[in-house]
Amino acid sequence: MRNAYLDQFPDEARVIKAAFWSSFIALAIGGVLGLVQALHRTDVFRFIQSPDYYTVLTAHGVLLVIVFTIFFLVGTFTWAVTTSLDRGVVDTRFTWAWYIMMVIGAALAGITIFSGFLESAPSILGSELNADVLFTFYAPLEAHPFFYIGLVVFVVGSWLAGVDWFRTWLAWRRENPDERIPLPTFMVLTTTLFWYICTLGVSLSILVFLLPWSLGITESVNPLLTRTMFWYFGHAVVYFWLMPAYLMWYTMLPKFSGGKLFSDPLARVVFVLFLLLSTPLGIHHQYLDPGIAEGYKFIAMTNTMFLLLPSLLTAFTVVASMEHGARQRGGEGYLGWLKALPWRDPIFTGMALAGLMFAAAGFSGMINAGMNINYLVHNTWWVVGHFHLTVGTAVALTFMAASYWFIPQLTGKELWNRSVALGQVVLWFIGMTFMTNAMHRSGLFGLPRRTAEPQYQGFDFEPAVGTVGEINMQVALGAVILTLSLALFLLNMVMTSIGSNSESIPDNTYADTLSGAEDSPRILDNLKLWTAIAVVLVIIAYTLPLASIIDAGGLFGPDIEGFRLSTWVDPAVIESLSEVIR
Amino acid sequence: MNIHTYEKVWIVASMVLIVGFIATITYGAVGPGIAMIDDDGGDINPDEINDDERFAEPGVEHVGGNEYEVTVVAQAWSYTPSEIEIPANSEVTFYVTSRDVTHSFSVVGTNVNTMVVPGQVSEMTAKFDEPDEYGILCNEYCGEYHHTMEGKLNVVPEDEFDLTELSVEADDEIDAGNETTITANVTNGMQEDLETTVSLEIGNQTQEEDVTVPGDGSEEVAFTVDSADLDEGDNDWTVTVDDYEESGTLSVVTPEGNESADGGDGDA
Amino acid sequence: MRISKGALLVVVAFLVPFVVEFRTALSWFGIKLSILESLALGGVLVIGLLLWAVWPEDGNGGTGAAGSS
Ligand code: HEM
Ligand SMILES: [Cu+2]
Ligand SMILES: [Cu+2]
Repeated sequence: MRNAYLDQFPDEARVIKAAFWSSFIALAIGGVLGLVQALHRTDVFRFIQSPDYYTVLTAHGVLLVIVFTIFFLVGTFTWAVTTSLDRGVVDTRFTWAWYIMMVIGAALAGITIFSGFLESAPSILGSELNADVLFTFYAPLEAHPFFYIGLVVFVVGSWLAGVDWFRTWLAWRRENPDERIPLPTFMVLTTTLFWYICTLGVSLSILVFLLPWSLGITESVNPLLTRTMFWYFGHAVVYFWLMPAYLMWYTMLPKFSGGKLFSDPLARVVFVLFLLLSTPLGIHHQYLDPGIAEGYKFIAMTNTMFLLLPSLLTAFTVVASMEHGARQRGGEGYLGWLKALPWRDPIFTGMALAGLMFAAAGFSGMINAGMNINYLVHNTWWVVGHFHLTVGTAVALTFMAASYWFIPQLTGKELWNRSVALGQVVLWFIGMTFMTNAMHRSGLFGLPRRTAEPQYQGFDFEPAVGTVGEINMQVALGAVILTLSLALFLLNMVMTSIGSNSESIPDNTYADTLSGAEDSPRILDNLKLWTAIAVVLVIIAYTLPLASIIDAGGLFGPDIEGFRLSTWVDPAVIESLSEVIR
Repeated sequence: MNIHTYEKVWIVASMVLIVGFIATITYGAVGPGIAMIDDDGGDINPDEINDDERFAEPGVEHVGGNEYEVTVVAQAWSYTPSEIEIPANSEVTFYVTSRDVTHSFSVVGTNVNTMVVPGQVSEMTAKFDEPDEYGILCNEYCGEYHHTMEGKLNVVPEDEFDLTELSVEADDEIDAGNETTITANVTNGMQEDLETTVSLEIGNQTQEEDVTVPGDGSEEVAFTVDSADLDEGDNDWTVTVDDYEESGTLSVVTPEGNESADGGDGDA
Repeated sequence: MRISKGALLVVVAFLVPFVVEFRTALSWFGIKLSILESLALGGVLVIGLLLWAVWPEDGNGGTGAAGSS
């Protein structure tokens, strides 16, 4: 008897599959836009106008780091909860409801962004439909109300998804009053809790300040306040993307390596640390902001450094579990066991390469976190190099590798081509190497991020090493390889989905542990306690900075109106103006 | 809880590493030199920038010794002033604010890099030891021509730097036989007195006068010009102070109905 | 074969970041490899690796410790 996820939970499988396809669509569009950006900036091939570059970049950011990642996350988490509790969700109609809500939110935000390409965008609710504000939407740059509404609807959808997981867990708890929370569910619940804490900031920022202001109900905003509220959410969200990848590394990678997870208790400690520390450090994105005293930046820096701990622990556990797996498969020697790992398997290899890139990202991340060194690299391409290693590889590549496991589980069809899949993950690794190496290097000599034409009239960049031209070629080459890899991934997904049913799908299980939950103190499962501590830490880190920002600039700022830059001035006028300035 | 020995070693090593990082950064931050952006710059209403004491006339000011203040206003998509000149061996405090959206003020390849948030004043101090030329750019997206937002910072050798300004007042025309004054006004933006020479060249004559312009003050030098020393018609003149020059033309005209004036006889 | 084909592919892939980063690292010491030189270095490494991989191991030329998946 086949015992794939589809056979266990056919209804849930359908929702999860829908969530994954939503995320693949976002990945496909976002990835192609990434290629457009890479070729445009480096002046290898330009076919859009430079002002439209920022529309492209807004779409790339929102589609990839909001839509792609979070749709994949809700799919993974729903799978993790139902698989590890061995019961379905309480009511699949509710599951469909939050999924559809997220789709509506994403579509609304997406349409608003893409309408920025139109020669004359339609006017709705008294203003033109567009949102050239990038995914950080810093006021006083102003987007159409639909953009903000879309984001809020999407986030509320994800809140309801969290409700769904909690409900399912509580239902299980009634049936199993004395059992420990299974590890995958524990991971889902702790992640959901910090998601609630951090999204509160951005939702309030939108609902109280940005949306009314964009609708013309309020007149002014305090840009530093909305910016700080964004980053209150903005760092935790990076862990939100990362947690499904961690979940896969902890609960699936050991299995794919042929062994067991090294330690369940330590995995719980790691997730508790993320719950505690993900939010009270957002100010580390504002080291360069005026209006925030150095002391608060210092607290954020210290918290950031301590958050290295769970990632270092993860590195240990994952490598130890892989070694255990390899030895089970007959591997020997100090490093010889590496040869015994299943490198032929795209799921294993993809995740292992993703983990490796994440380690590299750890190094550049420590530079970013250093309050003083950050001055050299802040908002340069260094940072873009850094997060293409983290979210663009550690997360995205793990998700793609995981899809090679999930899609057969959800459809009951065998993966179309394993060799193509292996080539695909390796190509992503190679493409990212080229692209991010060049990005990091160019950041060191000050090449700015988020810039359509980083070619200036009055000065040239002076790379310590190599030439700007060579760096540009390396970025373009990397981007082309990545796009090819992306195409192969999508091809494999489509071909698998239209393939025919197979009986030889592996059972839906996750990794066993060497040291199980019974070895960990019960207090680790006390979610109320950890949430309370997390809230206290947030209050400590944020009350004073927020109070001083409000004290200085007022809740609504000193009469700061919005700038809809793309409808603000006639571009032709500006073009001739900048011609004159030159 | 049951923790493997290797795990324990790893955890301890991780904590040592983390505390080490924090210590290094703390040392780097409170230790020598590097000042960070904080709330010292205060806040400002963007609508009132033009009336603000500091920002009404952005540019370079001398504070004393080797200390300077540079005020800059950022707006989509330029900086005022767009070109900044400061001497080598100086300590410069930048004050930057924005008229509209969030920008950055980033001196390429240096640690001088700050966000410029409307409503806030970014203050940061940096030392410039050697003469050099730096680009300035905006690295925070500020609208569709963000990529055109740039400026320049020139660090010039100390002895080539001053904050002297010269302006000259002079008539265009003078009646033959009369005298006129050409007044040079020399402003000194430095805090120290400026000892220099102002000279006027007109026709084939040169007049010179030594002046001492007080720190943060100005001095007027008036040159008397007698038409008798000049040719009939246009006479070019040039006033020079150090490297600054201003020139113009003075025309000697014969008043109507006075053809046979006695001009030329009245040599002094 | 000394290692499985999958492992060989991954090792070859690893050479890419190795060569790219090696080139960056060398340049900090003032040694600048041109793109062609880097390609040549990569090529030599790949060929060396392939030779090593297919060279029969001493003794009974078995598949060594490598797993076969
Ligand atoms: C085909 C693969 C990809 C390519 C070629 C690519 C290329 C780029 C480039 C060139 C930029 C820099 C734009 C600039 O600074 O002006 C960029 C920005 C960015 N990319 Fe990617 N990218 C790819 C995949 C991804 C993935 C998978 C993610 C995340 C899941 C991602 C997330 C981002 C984000 C968040 C930004 C910053 C947006 C902003 O500054 O507002 N990218 N990408
Ligand atoms: Cu962060
Ligand atoms: Cu800008």
